[in-house]
Amino acid sequence: MRLSDREQDGVVILEPKGKIMGGPDASLLHDKLYEFIEQNKKKVVIDLAEVDWMNSTGLGILISGYTTLRNTDGELKLANVTEKIQSLLTITKLVTVFDAYESVDEAVKAFK
Amino acid sequence: MKKPVISGDTITIPSSMEYLTDVDVFIEGILRGYGADESVIADIAISVSELVINAISHGNEALEDKMVDVSISRNGKNVTITITDQGCGFDPGEIADPLADENLLKEAGRGIFIVRSLMDKVEIDSVDDGTVITITKSLNN
Repeated sequence: MRLSDREQDGVVILEPKGKIMGGPDASLLHDKLYEFIEQNKKKVVIDLAEVDWMNSTGLGILISGYTTLRNTDGELKLANVTEKIQSLLTITKLVTVFDAYESVDEAVKAFK
Repeated sequence: MKKPVISGDTITIPSSMEYLTDVDVFIEGILRGYGADESVIADIAISVSELVINAISHGNEALEDKMVDVSISRNGKNVTITITDQGCGFDPGEIADPLADENLLKEAGRGIFIVRSLMDKVEIDSVDDGTVITITKSLNN
């Protein structure tokens, strides 16, 4: 997995690419998310457009970020959820937990 | 230090997460050789990753001198993959329901549930000297 980040209108956009399956790769996303939380940047969108697939480790990272941000008055939203990941969110009922948007722009606007 | 070993349709790895990618590359390569479509490849790759992570962390307790074997075979339109660890076994009946309200926001505990959802058949044979999990998926899904 590769990871890039940027900011848009005061919102952190995290852009993982590839597969989120656990091991050293997955900690990249976890560590970057917590780096921004420690900088008090608590509006975060994870853009999943270029994530081929993720497993339960990836879902666990999303949940960890979601709960940590929620507990510190922040918020995590998802954008560009691919069909494969949407299927995982549905079968695990996590589709009821995450706010998901069809584009990063829509997710960023939803913070206002 | 031990390294992954490929022998025919089997890859054997030490119990470390750093070798997850080796297993994924091996399995996806064989599946593409079988002509599987990308959706089926992803379902199997996700399931194998779940089971290998469990074998490493729960079965072999991340002890690198203990190995995990992953074997793949094709029988007509069905692909069968077997994951074997050298741990102490587990009781599948003790796995908590990840869909229960009290478990929904837990960061872990969904692996076997996801595998059962994605695969056509899952067989778990867990005894005192290891666990063998066999998953089957049709290439036509």
